[in-house]
Amino acid sequence: MSTSSANTSSSSANGLPANGPPVLKRHAVSTRVYRLLLRFYPLEFRQEYGLHMAQVFRDCCRTADVCEGWSGLWNLWLRTLFDLIRTAPSEHLENLRKENSLMKNLRNDALAFGGCIGIIVIAMVLLNYGRKHDVSTILVVGYALDALITTGVIGNLIVFLLVKVTRLNPFRTALWTFLVVSAAPLLLLAAVGSRIDPQFRFGSVLIGYVASFLFWVGVHWLWSQTRKQPQALA
Amino acid sequence: MFHILLALADKERHGYHIMQEVDERTEGKVRLGPGTLYGSIKRMLADGWVEETEERPDPEMDDERRRYYRLTDFGFRVASAEAERLARLVKMARSRKLLSKTQVS
Repeated sequence: MSTSSANTSSSSANGLPANGPPVLKRHAVSTRVYRLLLRFYPLEFRQEYGLHMAQVFRDCCRTADVCEGWSGLWNLWLRTLFDLIRTAPSEHLENLRKENSLMKNLRNDALAFGGCIGIIVIAMVLLNYGRKHDVSTILVVGYALDALITTGVIGNLIVFLLVKVTRLNPFRTALWTFLVVSAAPLLLLAAVGSRIDPQFRFGSVLIGYVASFLFWVGVHWLWSQTRKQPQALA
Repeated sequence: MFHILLALADKERHGYHIMQEVDERTEGKVRLGPGTLYGSIKRMLADGWVEETEERPDPEMDDERRRYYRLTDFGFRVASAEAERLARLVKMARSRKLLSKTQVS
């Protein structure tokens, strides 16, 4: 280690020893070339370990040179080049695999979000059709469809934003969000519903919101199960 | 990876020290390159087998930029399990007379 500090103190700005012995110059040149070769590794890996890899290589240079001279240095270079050819592509491949799994997650999220939008649109069309054509069977579930649309638009938006920004557990986030998003309008309607509409029936609205809550939480539970499967296999 | 786990089994070491230890233990038969060493360390850190340590065994003799690594409890269990697996294989080879007495010892 004392050699290391002496080496550092006698080094010029470009890392080469200014007036050092030829042996030290050999180490410095080798280390500089190795530092350049480190560019074959992915940036992330280089930033994390590049400095330490160069340091280890410099130590190896010193040992090889002291113990075996030029032949030791030559052998070290051969081994190091072989190591670089073998490990740099595998690090790039690993990075590529990580990006693929990120893309897969994004695709799953987009599909889930699209699915929720689709359900909301179908519910709206169904409700409009039922009201326009006075279809009694659809109007019976009207309260549930109303709740499905109201909580669906607000709740899903909150859930997807929260999951993306905070990386919270998607199912737990959905459970609490829909609980709040369903309870808030239900309480509001309980307070002012009968004042606005004389035919207001709290029981039907309650059933509608409970059904909507169970529906959306169920959808998010299914979604969280499909997200878990590829991770468990990996 | 098992060689690195073995090198860290008794105490924490930095990268070059791990390389030297593996080289010595295998009598020069296994020589880790920097890419292999730090690629393995990266994966072992991610899997929770090893961890970086703040303690520096000999700060006066040491370069503070060096990173020291040590086995975690989980890493120790993984190394033990692998050692037991290898021991079972050796036992099997011995029972089939694939190892001479000198090789066994």
